[in-house]
Amino acid sequence: MTATQVKKAIVTGITGQDGSYLAELLLSKGYEVHGLIRRSSTFNTDRIDHIYQDPHTPNARLFLHYSDLTDGSRLVTLLDEIQPDEVYNLGAQSHVRVSFDEPEYTGDVTGLGTVRLLEAIRALGLDTRFYQASSSEMFGATPPPQNEETPFYPRSPYGVAKVYSYWITRNYREAYGIFATNGILFNHESPRRGDTFVTRKITRAVARIAAGVQSELYMGNLDSVRDWGYAPEYVEAMWRMLQHDSPEDFVVATNTAYTVKDFLQLSFEHVGLDWEKYVKFDERYLRPTEVDSLIGDPSKAKDLLGWEPRVLTPRLAAIMVDADIKALELEGSRYVDVVESS
Amino acid sequence: MAETHRNVSFVTGANGQDGTYLVERLAKDGHVVHALCRSVAGGHALESIVPSVIVHVGDIADGETVHRVVGDIEPTHIYNLAGNTSVARSWEFPAETAEVLGVGAVRLLEAAWRLQETTGVPVRFLQASSAEIFGENEEGRQSEQTLLAPVTPYGAAKAFAHQMVGVYRSRGMHASAAILYNHESPRRPRSFVARKIASEVASISLGRSTTLVLGNIDVYRDWGFAPDYVDAMIRITAQPTASDFVVATGEAHSVREFVIEAFAHVGIGDWERHVTIDPDLYRPADPRRLVGDPQRLHSIGWRPTVDFPSLVRLMVDSDLAALRRPATAE
Repeated sequence: MTATQVKKAIVTGITGQDGSYLAELLLSKGYEVHGLIRRSSTFNTDRIDHIYQDPHTPNARLFLHYSDLTDGSRLVTLLDEIQPDEVYNLGAQSHVRVSFDEPEYTGDVTGLGTVRLLEAIRALGLDTRFYQASSSEMFGATPPPQNEETPFYPRSPYGVAKVYSYWITRNYREAYGIFATNGILFNHESPRRGDTFVTRKITRAVARIAAGVQSELYMGNLDSVRDWGYAPEYVEAMWRMLQHDSPEDFVVATNTAYTVKDFLQLSFEHVGLDWEKYVKFDERYLRPTEVDSLIGDPSKAKDLLGWEPRVLTPRLAAIMVDADIKALELEGSRYVDVVESS
Repeated sequence: MAETHRNVSFVTGANGQDGTYLVERLAKDGHVVHALCRSVAGGHALESIVPSVIVHVGDIADGETVHRVVGDIEPTHIYNLAGNTSVARSWEFPAETAEVLGVGAVRLLEAAWRLQETTGVPVRFLQASSAEIFGENEEGRQSEQTLLAPVTPYGAAKAFAHQMVGVYRSRGMHASAAILYNHESPRRPRSFVARKIASEVASISLGRSTTLVLGNIDVYRDWGFAPDYVDAMIRITAQPTASDFVVATGEAHSVREFVIEAFAHVGIGDWERHVTIDPDLYRPADPRRLVGDPQRLHSIGWRPTVDFPSLVRLMVDSDLAALRRPATAE
């Protein structure tokens, strides 16, 4: 009786920042969670090792499956086996700068992966709710603040691929009546952000400089304006979108604006240092075309989902620097952050 | 010396309707023309129309081939016309459609970009974009400023390629998109509604068929003549700066009008007697009205040479002529 009531969710990109927080959230809500991971000879499950259980243990509720968003038939097989209630498509080649070097691969994974999943849902006739991780990079050069009605003007292969996914998600919703939503998430960061993303790159360097193991930090454009939120709050918004009465698209953002320079200053000040003494410029970190300003208006998410951001950029920088300091102290062992209460 | 003035064009989708017209025209203009065809048979068909063409058999879905051919032939102009051109088919094969129409364009853009970076010789790139990128737009006529809102997998894939052209243009490539509205000719396959109407009407008028089966005939399209659109592509790549251009006549006509005009041309007034509407032929979603505003294109000297009634008539006439020559292939 109760067994049939357990909701099942598939999370693509479960090994990423958002995927790992979402898996934690869904497990805490009693879901059975199926994560799709890519086969790799190196371990790539760092972010979920702490919640992973051997599938043989009784009541295991997190399962991992080898799969790749570029393999459509594997996706059909898995969806058919799992019969999920909810699918969260967070898998992507998510690095904007890298997308200029690998535009084709980025299109294949970040763009086509979405239509492969949607087509699998449609072909199998599954009654599944679908979440598409859309991105503020889709707005590109469109002036801020951006909301759900703002036109797209993507400036990178990553942005273009995400716009494709946005439209194909809407097409499947409108043509086939599938419960498919786009969450247009602005930048959201955490101690689990990849090392090469600008915020994490900064906070790691601050921890290392404070500890005396690094002396300088090379940066690209410091004037880009971003709206940075706290990733665990953003995955909560994803889940709420799929519990809403109707499938709609939502902007998730803090509606606050900080420059990369501000983030540097906040992070260095948190450990009592002056950023200007340590930061050097390197043009290699400039993007071929830059998005100048992204600030999101999350009014719709507040009105319809009751979602509001609590951690804003200054506290975010402090959380991330503190986590990197602890991680450095534990060097050699694995540090796992605990979600900060709001 | 001559080398610096050489014009080497590379055309993908070269044995399609537009491809054959484009290859013919470029060869006539003195370009060395290389063509990418998916099959040997397609290559032979193209060679039978344009003997001077250099055919490469390969698929735009195959990145290795695309990079190798572009690297080998060092084209000065690339025209990307490859891919499924049927909106209806895109609902059946949405991922394949995106693979070819979307990522295929990226492969070609990236190959062109690498060639340009390596040789220092600029490459001019023309993407065959489509009115389907606009989807359900409320505006009366769409221009280069109209927002993209595709409503079909075909439109979404074409929008993907269209915006990638913009990304490469920002990086410094002479990459333009020709936003093509419906354009027809006797070379259109019969799976397309205009050619289907022309060939069935010709057949009915000769007593060889009785019924024309159609889907929604109240959708409005902006119909032009394919060779005019190929002329627009060539003009666009010749512009000093790369840009996007709507390629359209600016006039809207419904499928119903096409049907009436075609039957009238063969002297049949009571066309409704010969037409059956099959709701199964309706698409899951379909833009109701796509009409382009070709002002920008007019500003570079382009004008259509064939109007709507003439287009319908020349297509019906061509099918009549083919039917009256029973032994020869078209």
